Amino acid sequence: MKTIRSLLLGTALAGGALLPAQAQDVTVVMSQNEVGATSYNPITAQLLSVGAWLIYDRLVAKDEKLQYVPQLAESWEEAPDGMSWTFKLKPGVTFHNGTPFTAQTVVDWLPLYKGTENEYLFDAIDHAEAVSDTEVRFVMKRPEPNLLYNLSTVYGSIPDPAVFAELGEDFGVVEAVGTGPFKLESFEIGNQTVLVRNDDYAWGPGAATGRPAKIETLTLREIAEASTAFLELKTGGVDMLMNVPTDFVGEVTGTDNLKLLELPGTDLIYMPINVTKPPFDDVKVREGVAFAINQQEIVDAVFDGRGKAADGFLISALPESQTAPEFRISYDPDRANAALEAAGWVKGADGIREKDGQRLSVTLWTQSDSIFRRLSEVVQAQLKAVGVEAEILTFDSAAIRDQYKTGEQQLAVRTYLWDNADILEWFFGGDRLYYPNISMLNDPKAEELKAAAMTGAKTAAEREANFIAYHQYINSLYPYAPIYEPVQLIGYNAERLSLPEPLQAARFNTLGFLELDVKE
Amino acid sequence: MTAAAPRPGLLPAVLRSAPVLAFTSWKGAIAGSFLLLLILGALLAPWLTPYEYDVQNLPGAFQPPSLAHPMGTDEFGRDLLTRILYGARTSLSVSGVAIAISLFCGMVLGASAGYLGGRFDRAVMVVVDLTWAFPEILVALMLVAIIGPGTTGTLVAICVAYLAQFTRLTRAQVMSLKSETFVEAARGMGASGTAILFRHLLPNCLGPVLVAGMLATGDAIILEATLGFFGLGAQPPTPSWGGMMSSGSGLLFKGPWIILFPGLCIALTVVAINLFGDALLHKLDIRERVRSA
Repeated sequence: MKTIRSLLLGTALAGGALLPAQAQDVTVVMSQNEVGATSYNPITAQLLSVGAWLIYDRLVAKDEKLQYVPQLAESWEEAPDGMSWTFKLKPGVTFHNGTPFTAQTVVDWLPLYKGTENEYLFDAIDHAEAVSDTEVRFVMKRPEPNLLYNLSTVYGSIPDPAVFAELGEDFGVVEAVGTGPFKLESFEIGNQTVLVRNDDYAWGPGAATGRPAKIETLTLREIAEASTAFLELKTGGVDMLMNVPTDFVGEVTGTDNLKLLELPGTDLIYMPINVTKPPFDDVKVREGVAFAINQQEIVDAVFDGRGKAADGFLISALPESQTAPEFRISYDPDRANAALEAAGWVKGADGIREKDGQRLSVTLWTQSDSIFRRLSEVVQAQLKAVGVEAEILTFDSAAIRDQYKTGEQQLAVRTYLWDNADILEWFFGGDRLYYPNISMLNDPKAEELKAAAMTGAKTAAEREANFIAYHQYINSLYPYAPIYEPVQLIGYNAERLSLPEPLQAARFNTLGFLELDVKE
Repeated sequence: MTAAAPRPGLLPAVLRSAPVLAFTSWKGAIAGSFLLLLILGALLAPWLTPYEYDVQNLPGAFQPPSLAHPMGTDEFGRDLLTRILYGARTSLSVSGVAIAISLFCGMVLGASAGYLGGRFDRAVMVVVDLTWAFPEILVALMLVAIIGPGTTGTLVAICVAYLAQFTRLTRAQVMSLKSETFVEAARGMGASGTAILFRHLLPNCLGPVLVAGMLATGDAIILEATLGFFGLGAQPPTPSWGGMMSSGSGLLFKGPWIILFPGLCIALTVVAINLFGDALLHKLDIRERVRSA
């Protein structure tokens, strides 16, 4: 017995001695919607996980008010005619492999986007030229008021162009070289990414400038199943979940050592309406179903009251979401019923509307993730309340995009994640029919307004006004119904970690992980 | 005519009484009563429960089991017991009908292949062996992907997934029976091939094949539930046990009863079907024939 006890004590002591080395290791479960990202290649990838924010830096970043703040660029200036931009770069920045980051790096980096899916980001730039080692000028083909936004997205991350050219397809999979606060140690697709601290990092944003990250190793795990992820957090297998589904909020707040950090979300859930498929080729029918969706009921019943009822297509943090009240779409059963009556659909004996002997029966597509199926069932019941029968068709989340390309959908429940007004063009542009324009909207006036919004503005204020006009016109055609604007909920082990609160960034990435600390 | 048929009337008579006989063993009695109750519950669901299976009551969601809701309410505030009863309709009818069709087609194919032999036999067996090479779930998933999600897709998928099994079993039975003396006698009396196949051979392999069908129904319920779990089975608001488990899986902490009760139902039903099938096997005394096939 005594030997066992001393053995145990010895083990405990040895474990204790090991602790300081392990203390700086943090394991985080990434958001479910980032699971399965196949690469950390910011130039060609369509999906990048939070790791890409940490391996690379961008010229500019966004703060919590969605204002642009310096990152690799110290300051910038736009020519009055919008035809050139000059960026002053931070001196002394180096890549993970020791190569210095200079104006020439930026000049070499921009052409890499040619021919990729992400080319549109910097399409407006004709070429870049190095004015000095720390000053680079973009010569524009046309004014691009959205340039700072594009530079601040994760797809605007700057890799070492030399290594990028050398590795080709393998870049971002076997090796990734950036200037970010963490270096890529290992990457197993679909499983986990191990990042180690970049000790030379001294060019962090805001309060974190002048020093590297506080933690040594960061393991990003991919767990698709929310309950599994939560159990890992609860049992101490991981320290933090980047995304806690609202169904688990009660469990997190009810567990002593766990805490929640709530950040504004950048996604929006909505119901696209295919304007080419009868009966939705009639704008009155579209208006009817759009006003039948009870957003607040969905927020309360499905999302535990967290997040906001959406009333437009853009997240409310964007100024372009501020449309005039008459263009907002929010639950109004009287208006829904009146619009459907006006379209000639009259309620039959079983409460479902009919017209010329035909029932108002439509299909509602959804993806197999549980939250979408649940939402669809609530939407189905809400549509039934105004006399519309919706048949739910569930598709595998990976396969639904190909299904949309057939253009057979009538209604659907889906989500997007983007914090810029140009998403309107992506989902409603006449040249993007089938996918991503699954509403199949192709309206001449909308196209005119789109062109003005996307490329017609010279200043940020003008762009904002143009986008509001475009947004309002789209709303008046009812090619979708807004549903819900989620919040980002981060759950973490408060006994082990200390998180920066309040966080001075739009999302929990570079700044968040620079400030993240392990309690001794 | 009478001399040509020494056994045909016999087995169907045993078959007719076998389900009743199965009740004489305690295993068969318990399993059989459970299945009877379940079928009755499913049939009488509209009269048994005061609730609708598809009317949502969002403020009343996530109520734990109580007197008003013996199995609690789901995430939409719908009574779970009501949904289980209506779900039994989906699960039992889809798997039952699918297995019945599969059984019929399998018997016709297998018997013809076994009796005719030659090229036809080889052609049928190549196709059958090909489907046999894949797990049922894989065949079913492929078919649902082609046909599209829903009850019809599930039905066809289950049907095709089990076809190989029944074809092989019937073929083996027919092959061993076709050299029996009563078949030779029938042939000697001038009976046609069709008559021999349908009057003499098929009735004699009915017993083992039906029991295999019974046992396969248990597997089919699991397959139906699996497809439902993936969201490919009956589409909401039509309840299916697999679909209910799937929505409950994300709510394990908030409402554990939402996944518990449909899960229990699937498990109990499959156990009951297997026990009853076992009792049938025992009473028919055909265990060796089913097992060896």
